[in-house]
Amino acid sequence: MQPATPLPNSLIVTAAALLLPLLAFGVIMLATRSRHRLSAAISIGAAGLSLLAAVYLLVQHWQMQAPLIFQAVWMVSGQMTIPIGILLDPISLSMFAVVAAISFLVQVYSLGYMAGDPGFGCYYGCMSLFAWAMLTLTVSSSLLQIYIFWELVGLASYLLIGFWFDKFSASEAGKKAFVMTRTGDVAFLLGLVLLWLQLGTLDIPVLTNPATVGAQLSPGMITLTALLIFGGIVGKSAQFPLLTWLPDAMEGPTPVSALLHSATMVAAGVYLFSRLFGFFSLSPTAMAVCLTIGTISMLLASTMAMVARDIKQVWAYSTISQLGFMLMGLGAGSLFAGAFHLITHAGFKALLFLCADVFIHHCGTNDMFEIGRQGGRRLKSAVVCTIIGAGALSGLPPLSGFFSKEMILGHLLDSGHPVAFLAAAVGAFLTTYYSFRLIFIILFPRDSGDAPPPESHDGHHHAGSEWPMTTVLWCLAGVTVVLGFFQTPLHDFLARAGTGFQAATPAHHSWLPVAACLLAAVAILQAWFEYGRKKARQIGWVEQIPFLADLFGQRWYLDRLYRYLLDTLVYRGVSRLFTANDRRVIDGALDGLGRSTIGLGRVIDWVHGGMIQYRLMIMVAAVIGLILFIGWGG
Amino acid sequence: MNWILLTPELTVLLAAALFLVLACLKPDPRRDYQLAVTMAAFAVAAATACATMSGDLFNHVYRVDLFSQVFKALLAIGFFLVIFLCDDFQGVAPSHHGEGYFLLAVCTLSMMMLASAVHLLAIVLALELSSYSLYILVFLRQEHRWGMITGLRYFLVGASASAIMLFGLAIIYGVTGAVHIDMLIQQLPAMMGHPMAVTGLLLTLAGFFFKLAVFPFHFWAPEAYQGAPNQVAAFIAAVSKVAAVAILLRMISMAQGNSDQLARGLIAMAVISMTVGNLAAIAQRDFKRLMAFSSVAHAGYLLLGMLCMTPAGYGAAMFYGAAVLIMKYTCFMVMTRVADDGRNLQIDELAGLHRRSPLLALALMMALFSLAGIPPTIGFVGKLMIFVAAMQKGYLVLVLVAMANVVVSLYYYLLVLKAAYLDEPAQVLPSISLTMPARLVAVAMIALIVGLGFYPTTLLDLVQAAVLRLP
Repeated sequence: MQPATPLPNSLIVTAAALLLPLLAFGVIMLATRSRHRLSAAISIGAAGLSLLAAVYLLVQHWQMQAPLIFQAVWMVSGQMTIPIGILLDPISLSMFAVVAAISFLVQVYSLGYMAGDPGFGCYYGCMSLFAWAMLTLTVSSSLLQIYIFWELVGLASYLLIGFWFDKFSASEAGKKAFVMTRTGDVAFLLGLVLLWLQLGTLDIPVLTNPATVGAQLSPGMITLTALLIFGGIVGKSAQFPLLTWLPDAMEGPTPVSALLHSATMVAAGVYLFSRLFGFFSLSPTAMAVCLTIGTISMLLASTMAMVARDIKQVWAYSTISQLGFMLMGLGAGSLFAGAFHLITHAGFKALLFLCADVFIHHCGTNDMFEIGRQGGRRLKSAVVCTIIGAGALSGLPPLSGFFSKEMILGHLLDSGHPVAFLAAAVGAFLTTYYSFRLIFIILFPRDSGDAPPPESHDGHHHAGSEWPMTTVLWCLAGVTVVLGFFQTPLHDFLARAGTGFQAATPAHHSWLPVAACLLAAVAILQAWFEYGRKKARQIGWVEQIPFLADLFGQRWYLDRLYRYLLDTLVYRGVSRLFTANDRRVIDGALDGLGRSTIGLGRVIDWVHGGMIQYRLMIMVAAVIGLILFIGWGG
Repeated sequence: MNWILLTPELTVLLAAALFLVLACLKPDPRRDYQLAVTMAAFAVAAATACATMSGDLFNHVYRVDLFSQVFKALLAIGFFLVIFLCDDFQGVAPSHHGEGYFLLAVCTLSMMMLASAVHLLAIVLALELSSYSLYILVFLRQEHRWGMITGLRYFLVGASASAIMLFGLAIIYGVTGAVHIDMLIQQLPAMMGHPMAVTGLLLTLAGFFFKLAVFPFHFWAPEAYQGAPNQVAAFIAAVSKVAAVAILLRMISMAQGNSDQLARGLIAMAVISMTVGNLAAIAQRDFKRLMAFSSVAHAGYLLLGMLCMTPAGYGAAMFYGAAVLIMKYTCFMVMTRVADDGRNLQIDELAGLHRRSPLLALALMMALFSLAGIPPTIGFVGKLMIFVAAMQKGYLVLVLVAMANVVVSLYYYLLVLKAAYLDEPAQVLPSISLTMPARLVAVAMIALIVGLGFYPTTLLDLVQAAVLRLP
């Protein structure tokens, strides 16, 4: 750890960028909630200024040599001090910029989306809260601080989804999301506490320094803590086996999905991995687990996406699968490949979600067949942008996804993981297939495709003007097109993060891009053959095999399995035991009491004849047991 | 003798005396409420003003120091908050409102004494006084069906716990020949290897465990919460726990941290309390019963901090005691406002709360998140402090058990939250109107839960300075 001399200037700018959204949240919630336009202006203004600050920081520190750290003491317990602070290095700066940009764009987009909604002000308040939490997470200087904001991001996301009360029908989904992410978080917290105990500090620069960590921790301990922290990543980034919550959490407003479930919140898991890359790479086991989990999630989610009919669910599965892809790149030992794909993915996946939102709101349905029938293809910008986004997702040149996918594939090949490479190739094929399946279904509907241009279904949603929505779509599309060409400067920039960076870029396999393009072309052709051409029956090859269709459609029966386990363990086991006891003892007795005339004598009678002695006996027995227990040890 | 030191107690005593007189006059709920709130506000002012005083009173039986004064301030605040909640005092017959305030005041007074008492007899007196006022308070419930049974059961369990405690005190006296804490501190640590001393101390703790609802002294809790008027249940759940923490810290610190045997006993109780409380809470349908079992679980967490027997652990337990006061009070505040006729609230009845009163729903959500230890809330900081203290002592397994318990607890807190935010009520219910002060208190509670989650430093420094006064 060599913290450079603090630059007060950067500190002020960063702090301002962090505090503005919080301030906006406070002002909106306390004062301007009922004044919609003002609230939106405050929130967007704050997000815009944060974005400017992020760009300024990026430019200012483009040539940075050492990370900048600003820390202050937050709490003291015994001999332990708990600091909070800001850590600026290439990784956090780039993620900071991505988050600021996406949240700004989504907020602008929401201007059109939310116009006329009664909860307009509240929505922007929650958006600001989310932006604040997420931005702070990216520049946190210690793992504990990351954990706190990690949870706060989760909280803001519940507010944002729950905000859409009328439509948030799936209470089960909310519960599932909560339980699954929390399960991961507990593992994370556990790993964090263990690390803390061993190292006495959770500062990220210390954690990622191989020399200090290696000297103070045994390899087994490193692996254990790394795996526990990885548990948190699995929960947040919806990886196997905790992946089923994400598709179900798509009930909220689509712009929220674009912000939360593609670019920022779920990406926080992968971000954490790249943040702690230096630490994880100390444990080969953890890296192998990461690679494996990433591979499994990527393949499982792609297969699920192949049979989904809900447009948002397709992109949700695709998000899981792309996050898995990033983890594969990271697990194979390339920080840059994973981080680069994280950045490009944020752009094109937000684009895809926002396009999906345009379709959904014009056609009033999530079903892509129905969207096609209602003439979704007449929405020109949305169709073109979807194609651009899907092209990037499929890794078609010259879109951004092409470059980042190439990086990961090349790395998998170089680092000697042939199985993972093959799986990645299969995954890439499936990804292209399901993306273009969706496009062809919308473009070439089977019947009544030439219905009159769709009218807006919910009149009030489009009371506002359309231009913010279209502008944002084209902005993101532009980013998707050009971002790939910044590969080299970005690589140079991120290389200054120091830890875990191989000096040389991976050896170029000149055949790899060609092969990947060919693969994508085959996938597109197949999708066209099954969905696009005139005589196509629009039934995919998977759907013709009932077994596979069932398996994929039911998400590999993961939900059923969890349900079954939950039923057996919690409901049938523990819960029933207690309920039965409760019912027999208390309810039964009270009902009996209620039915008869109640006199004090009877009550005393009952208390004597009833359970109270039994309980007192337990009490005394427990005390005696306790005395024996402590006596025995002495 | 410096009577100024006793200002907080005297203020509460004055309130008690006032209501003893008023209870004999013609009942006037409005007047009683306003008077009670005023007196409680005075008590808070007095307790805060005297926060830094110190000195011994009554032949050194009564000690005023930072430790006791911080607890007194917390108790006074809790007293004020509960009184504030009594604006309609449903569940207690209007003719008994005066008695209700009187008993609440007496109970607060005795708990303040409990925080200051350093002589075993004084401790017993204070404890019994607070317990007896609570027995009667539970009994005040308008529907006799609830009040009588539960009052009696509560009393029986309490009496048994007191008996066990007196037995323990007798053993301690027999072993050491001392009744003053200062003398016990000189003798006990050396004797902690002696099974008799450990047994005596553990049995003595029984009386306080009863207050805190630690297993196996928790049997009264679900029924007492359910049977008591809602405001009284809030008092038991939030305020009386603070007093229990105070006296338990005082007693456990007597062992000076050199008793593995005592720690073993406490570990067993902490683990069983957490587990039993959390598992039993899963099955509950009644809000107050659920809160009761959650109290049992939280007693386990508190015990986890205390059994570290280090300043860090004591500080963490004290901080968490304050956190419990805020979190539990917020839950009960929401419950009392929703159950406006003083009935027992079923969890299903929270359905649609987010529409009926967004503020209350938000307060409930923050309180539940805090109880479940999700950052950035006061509950998270408290749990973190306790876990860190336990880890410093090397109780790794214990922390793991506690964290597993936290996960279980999430499940049922989530059920409550689901009812409040996601479930639709069977029929449309009118929105809940809150008065301006009630709104302010709700906002203040949310602000405290989140604010202390972000900036706990001041409170932490305060409790850490306070526990340094412990031997």
